[in-house]
Amino acid sequence: MLTATGYFRPGSSWLHRRHPTTKLLTAFWLLAAAFLLPPSALLALLAAVWLGAVSCGLLGGLLRSSRVGLYLLVSIVVVNAFFFPGGHDFLLALGPIRLTREGLEAGLVGGGRILVVLEALLLFLFTTLADDLLEALVQRGASARLAFVVLSAVQMVPRLQAKAAAILDAQQARGLAIGGSIGGRLRALVPLVGPLLLGTLIDVRERTFALEARGFGSGLPRTAYRLVADPPADRALRWLLAAAFVGLIVVALTIR
Amino acid sequence: MTGAPPPALRLTGLGVRYPGRSRPALEGIDLAVGRGEFFGVAGRNGAGKSTLALVVAGFIPRVVRARVEGEVDVAGRPTRTATLAELIREVGIVFATPANQLSSSKPTVREELAFGLENLGVPREEMDGRIDRALAELGIADLAERLPAALSGGEQQRVAIASILVMGPGILVLDEPTAQLDPAGTEAVAALLHERADAGITVVVAEHKPAVLGRAFGCLVLDAGRQVALDAPGRALGSAVMGQLGGAVPTLVAVAEALGLDPRLGFDPATLAAAIGQRATGAPGAARTPPAGAAGAPTPPAVPWQPVRDQPPVAIEIEGLVHRYPGGVEAVRGVDLTIEPGETVAIVGRNGSGKTTLAKHLNGLLAPAEGRVRVGGRDLRGTAVAEAARTVGFVFQDPDDQLFNRSVAREVAFGPSNLRLPGADRDRLVARALESVGLTGESATNPYDLDLSARKLVALASVLAMDPAVLVLDEPTTGQDGPGMARVGALVDAFAAAGRTVIAITHDMEFAARHFRRVVAMREGRVILDGAPEAVFAPGNAAALASTGLTLPPAAAVAAELAWSAPVPLDAAGLVARLRD
Repeated sequence: MLTATGYFRPGSSWLHRRHPTTKLLTAFWLLAAAFLLPPSALLALLAAVWLGAVSCGLLGGLLRSSRVGLYLLVSIVVVNAFFFPGGHDFLLALGPIRLTREGLEAGLVGGGRILVVLEALLLFLFTTLADDLLEALVQRGASARLAFVVLSAVQMVPRLQAKAAAILDAQQARGLAIGGSIGGRLRALVPLVGPLLLGTLIDVRERTFALEARGFGSGLPRTAYRLVADPPADRALRWLLAAAFVGLIVVALTIR
Repeated sequence: MTGAPPPALRLTGLGVRYPGRSRPALEGIDLAVGRGEFFGVAGRNGAGKSTLALVVAGFIPRVVRARVEGEVDVAGRPTRTATLAELIREVGIVFATPANQLSSSKPTVREELAFGLENLGVPREEMDGRIDRALAELGIADLAERLPAALSGGEQQRVAIASILVMGPGILVLDEPTAQLDPAGTEAVAALLHERADAGITVVVAEHKPAVLGRAFGCLVLDAGRQVALDAPGRALGSAVMGQLGGAVPTLVAVAEALGLDPRLGFDPATLAAAIGQRATGAPGAARTPPAGAAGAPTPPAVPWQPVRDQPPVAIEIEGLVHRYPGGVEAVRGVDLTIEPGETVAIVGRNGSGKTTLAKHLNGLLAPAEGRVRVGGRDLRGTAVAEAARTVGFVFQDPDDQLFNRSVAREVAFGPSNLRLPGADRDRLVARALESVGLTGESATNPYDLDLSARKLVALASVLAMDPAVLVLDEPTTGQDGPGMARVGALVDAFAAAGRTVIAITHDMEFAARHFRRVVAMREGRVILDGAPEAVFAPGNAAALASTGLTLPPAAAVAAELAWSAPVPLDAAGLVARLRD
């Protein structure tokens, strides 16, 4: 279930206590590692993220929130497995469609990479309060306005999901059948997507007014109420991460 | 020479015209509001109340494009050349939807209040003091460490007001701040505004609800952008003005008028009851019959519902219903209800009492965790919602969760088309539904060109046009003005008269008492009261209703103050008739 503060799950685990930039850099490192290291490293990377989630008691929530992404991954694997150009090693034939070993491998590697990034990003959002991230970015010179806008966009995702669920309920209650043939499903899209777009625009108007009323567009030098702790351990960790980035590049260059 | 201090807010010849609109949204408004005055702005939807709020707060023309004529002076200084950043320190504004006011990124109410201070560059060392003061002044210090998004609507709206007041404005403008609140939330916000005015804040509130307007020192009534009355609320909302506008006279104002009492007494049941008591001990005056518009606008011409689909009446049986949301929250905790064919039932209770969760079981949108729901003898478990919609029509609270067509007529035809009704039947139903909600003349209009109250009527018509055996309405009167409420009420009456079942979730006790033969009150997922309105709204149930955020309808509240025994009158006419006897 999504929480009222977006993906953030309140807690005091060791990951919750890390400075947002430390966690952000770690997520970026995992992203780079997923694409630069050999495919055999993907399982280790994924295990590392899941171990991190286990240590914070968040694995169940992480996996539940990954479900939508998993559908995408399965489709990547299937499409590659059956339609990979240049595949020669046929494993299975379904009429004109053939499953190739090369395609299956490409699908698994592509899907695996995306899975690592998805899980790392979700764990980052689960353990990082948006407001802490905003303050951390602003303290490092980011535009407060831009940081807020970006974070608001991220936080809109759960709100949009809740709105989409409400629209689905409302349209089914008006007799809209959402299953059936592909044509029927496509026809059902307009009544679902239309109110989502239009309703979001109306919402945005009132939210914009409310933000302006709170001085968001005042253009005055901003002060900060929230102090985000940056203990020495975090600073040391970020140096380690910097070294790990260098190590990653060296490894990537070596194996090519 | 030292003259009297200038009023906190002065509007002089104020006019607003939106681009592309033929008539002005506001025209020739003159108003002076003193420091610490609580001022109400009333009028039908579309009369210009929101425009007035936006122009006073400086959002027009700085955020919303429009041509402004005349002057808005704050503390004697014209604001024409001020920037919005300068103005928000002097004039704060609060809008209708509680959740949309909050920044949605803050983990605590304390930090939510800090957001505005951060944007104004207030030094951090000053913030805690200002936040603590604002929380204490508004009586919400106990909410300081709570998650804003997890608060009730009434609490969120008080936090929204605190978030503005902490920035230090001397004037607070509010645009329908209680539109989405239950009676308890409305009362809390109204009391808070009154207290802030006593403390020196100038409060200008655009509202429909007598519970809020009745506390005002003065009331400006708008009609089609012009000011038609400026007086004490009892007189501004009385039959002389409302009769002319076709608006609603608050029930107790109508009673006071009928009894020849000062209409300004017509907002608080205890005050009116005391005046009635004094009158009884003195020379009795001749009581008149309350005007037709009492407790609602004059009823629109009745449009009988003529069914097109052959729908046999159905009973609804709910047995031992329990519903748990993912995460374990038990929203409905063992409800047993039988609703007979053709019955009209109002389900009442505070926000979060389980009303909507219960109603979503009536068309299979939710499945019971325990127990069962049968409609027309058929267990809904396993029935697709689209299939159940042939029998049970459900109108959701937010019309923007469903409207998507280019025209009102196409939108209303969406439901009957999904049911694959023959074209001629569909066209007849669309025409009848539009006539029932009074939107025949808007059939070619894009729904999003209509205001929220009209969009709610479009959504209602779109379900009505499915001609269901059971009509479920979730908060149908939210955001409606007096005539809008009368329209919805007439529609409920007409649909029930055609033998159909109507079930409504509502916070409006007068609406429930007036249009429904049965009232079911819920608290924390359970039914606590169930019976005819006269029984549920009996004086002895006032405490039980208060425990779920509800109040007695105003006429019943006066009867309770007068210590009358049941059955008590539920409307102005009944109250006056009983007083005559």
